[in-house]
Order: sequence, then structure tokens, then C-alpha cells
Amino acid sequence: MPTFRSSSSSSSRQTLRGQTAIIGAGLSAVGRVPGKSALALAADAADKALADAGIGKHEVDGVLSSAAFASPFHRFSVAFSEYLGIQPTFSNTLQVSGATAATMFNIAAAAIAGGLSETVLVVGGDSLLTGLSPDLALRSMTESRDQQYEMPFGIPVANTFAMTAHRHMKEFGTTSEQLAKVAVIHREHARRTPGAQMTSPLTVDDVLNSGMVTTPYHKLDCSLISDGGAAFIVTSAERAKALGIAKPVYILGGGECYTHEHIFLMPSLTTTGAVQSSAKAYAMAGCGPKDIDVAGVYDCFTGTVIMMLEDLGFCAKGEGGSFVDDGQMTYGGAIPCNTHGGLLSFAHSGMPGSLFHFYEVINQLRGRCGERQVAGAELGLVHSLGAGFATNATTILGTEATL
Amino acid sequence: MINPQDAHVKPLPMPDADSQTFWKGINQGELLLQHCQACGHVQYYQQAICRACSSERLEHRAASGRGKVHSFSVVHRAPGPAFKQDTPYAVILVELEEGPRMISSFAGADPSLVGFDMAVELVCEPAGGGMALPRFRAA
Repeated sequence: MPTFRSSSSSSSRQTLRGQTAIIGAGLSAVGRVPGKSALALAADAADKALADAGIGKHEVDGVLSSAAFASPFHRFSVAFSEYLGIQPTFSNTLQVSGATAATMFNIAAAAIAGGLSETVLVVGGDSLLTGLSPDLALRSMTESRDQQYEMPFGIPVANTFAMTAHRHMKEFGTTSEQLAKVAVIHREHARRTPGAQMTSPLTVDDVLNSGMVTTPYHKLDCSLISDGGAAFIVTSAERAKALGIAKPVYILGGGECYTHEHIFLMPSLTTTGAVQSSAKAYAMAGCGPKDIDVAGVYDCFTGTVIMMLEDLGFCAKGEGGSFVDDGQMTYGGAIPCNTHGGLLSFAHSGMPGSLFHFYEVINQLRGRCGERQVAGAELGLVHSLGAGFATNATTILGTEATL
Repeated sequence: MINPQDAHVKPLPMPDADSQTFWKGINQGELLLQHCQACGHVQYYQQAICRACSSERLEHRAASGRGKVHSFSVVHRAPGPAFKQDTPYAVILVELEEGPRMISSFAGADPSLVGFDMAVELVCEPAGGGMALPRFRAA
């Protein structure tokens, strides 16, 4: 464990870099998974993560979870612990919308480094597809907009993101074809991912002809609605070593940024808090965007990906569209992203959705992705965001070689 | 859990302690902005303190009602059954002449008329339940 110094100067303060490691990862079935509650999906994923780590459930003393729309439990992490049959001494249910996933890893690392917990189960599960009707699933997400100043105007969850993409098109000349290309690349990735929800071939024309949802977004510019859960075991680097874990994946850096709550107070529609959250994560990890081998980039909508490629530093502001067009976000390009197919084609079960990006990036760093494997992947980044870019959180992960 | 009945009812603003004056103004056809007497910051929406300097010395002044469309999105698939009969409609992000931005919807019949930087003006429209909503039409 770290030794805490009495000095309050930030230069001598120890960061999270390399202090904790992910030693197990588990995924439930995703997509259409009828007959499974949110808790059951989460428990299924947790069982697999425990088995992957080779530890028993009673070796977990901390539980962090996201909330679930299709579950009646406000304290999902507490209800989940009861469901799994454990009594943790550290737990919380986190809620910063889509950014929750990365915050769970950042907070798990901090809790372990700070002595609140030794081994944290990070878990999320929800059944947005079969646990809620489509209307209610959409409504449940729009409920997160403000009831006074946004909701009365009929603003769907897609609309806040659509307005940012629309403005990006006006300011930088980003095209509908470039947005569609994002969906096409995600589908190509998903076609090689066992269990992905959408695996039929997809073209740019298919996206452009899929019907408008909210301009400039067509149906296929929008992510899926899915069931599914994922879970991870995070512990101290020392304990990972003592357990003889073959390929621990270390948490090297984390950062968050919350620039606004209401979309009308977003400082800029085209530059987001991902700039600050990733800058903090890069600084802590001691690396930059050019060093990252593989990334998980929150892809609730196609334009979101283009803006994030810019704000995470993978390309210059305004060039996200051509970066995608040039094949830079897939194999052989500058930064292979969402190699599992992302929220657009793999699965999107609400707040657990971004945990699937973690699952993929972690397995890329463990060399377990088979034909999807990015050769030599040592350093990975996952960026989670939500609520019309109100919430942004970044986590940087690395193999032992990056320590 | 979400109550299925709720999805069929349009949400109306429910004024709270911070916002009663604002919604009263809208019902009288005025869009009130808060002007900070300490630092001059102008803000939308209404709250107890200035977001720039935390002063509580905030004065309500009616906005001119003029602004321009900073961004917009025309909704073809409604966020739930309550808005289905309204599609297509344009949700607009209006930049008011006084500086603040706000979310509203285009009051004109044809949402395809909405464009970037289009000049718009306030129209306070009854929304049921004794409430009015600040919407905008082409200026």
C-alpha cells in the first residue's frame, strides 16, 4: 500500500498510477436477453469476473455499481450485494449517466489506494430492451433532462447530442456521410465480435436511408437499446501479484469533468469536458494520445465519436470527420476504437453500456481478442460520457510493460 | 421504476422556490432574466445566486425576446408517446440578445424553415395546466 506523506503539495502527492489492477472481467449475454432481471444480468457477469480472476465472492470487500432503469432498487449496489450473497464494507451506486462506467474504475482505484477497500467488484446490469417497453426506455432516459427548462419542449435524449453534432457540421463542414461512416465502421467491428447484437452488413447508404430520428441523426446514427451486464474485479497491484494473476491490467490514470447540467449552459457545443478529463488522465498516466494503442470511445451517437476523437487528442479539432473517413479509427489507422462494435452495434444497456468498452479494451490489453486483436496493444484508453456531454470521465489502462 | 401512465402526459414545468418568478413572468408574456447587481452577469435560468460571482443581489429584467438560433434539431421520432402527435417539430437552442442561451421549440408550423443564426422572437404560448411556455417564431 502507498505511504502517505504529510506534505500537502500536489507535486509530492501520490497518484493512482499503477497502484491497482483489473484481475478479472465478466460479461453477461447482451442484446435481447429476455427473462433476466437487471440484477440477474449483473450477477451473471459478476460470476464470470470472479471465475476469470480465480477468486471467490467472499474475497470481494467492495462493490461499486451503476444504477439501473429497469430495477426498482435505488441502492443498486446494495441490492446487488444481497442478491449475490455478500456483505461488503465499501459500496456505492454511482450516477453520472453514461460517464458512470469510467468513474467506477477511477473511484475503485482511489478506494483501494486509500485503504477503504482491498478488492472492489465493479458491476452494472440493465434490461432496457426487454425489461422496459421501447417508449418507456426512451422516456426513462429523457427523464434525465430538466423538467422545467428542457423537458416541456419535447427534447429527446438524442436531441441534445444531435444539436452538438449539427453545430459541428456547421462550424467544421462535417457531413452526414462522415457520421454514417462511424456507424459502418462499428458494424464491421461488431461482425467479428461473438454475441454482438447487430452483425448484418451495413453501408453508408443504409444509414442515410434509415429514417430520421432527430436531425442530423438517422436511426442508424443512434446507438442500440439492449439488455446486458458486465463486471470487473479491481484490486491492489500487490494483491494481483500475490494471486499470481497472469496479465493484470493496471489503472494508470483517471480524470473527470462536469461542465454543465443544462445543454443551454454547455460552454461550447463542439468542444467538451472530454478535453479536461482526458488531460487529467494523460497527465496521471504519463502519456499522451499518440501513445494509446487501442481505445473505447463512448458512441451513443455517430457524431459523438467524431467530437471525442478530437477532444481526446487523437486528431485536431474539426478534423474528426475526415479522420474517420480516412480509416484512422479502425485497424491499421491511428487509433483502433471500439473494436467490439460499441454502443452502435455491440450493445447499449444504458449505464452499463460503457462497461462493454472496458471489457473490450481490457481484453485487447490481455491479448484475448482473437481475430479482433490489435497487435501489440499495451496502452488503452476508455472515455465514458453522458447527459448531452454534461458528464465526462476518462480512464487509462496499461499492461505490466507500461508501468 | 417508471409508471407507464406518465409517458402519455406532456411534462409541464413545476415551479420551485428558485423559479416561481420566472414562470409567473412567462404566464404574463415576459421572459425574465436575472441581472447581477454585483458583477453585471446576466443569467438564465433563475436561481438564488449569481453563477459568476455568487452574489445574491439579482434583479429580474424582462428580456427583449429577440435572439438567434445557435443550433437546432428537428424531432421526427418523439421522446415517448406524449409528443408523438407533434412530430416533426424543431427543438431550438436560442441565443438571446442579452447573451444567455435557452432551450425552446419553434412555434412556426414548418420546422424545415429553421436554420442556423436565424432571427427569432419570443412567443409565450399556453401549455395547459395554467402554465405557458416560452417558444420562438421567426422574427
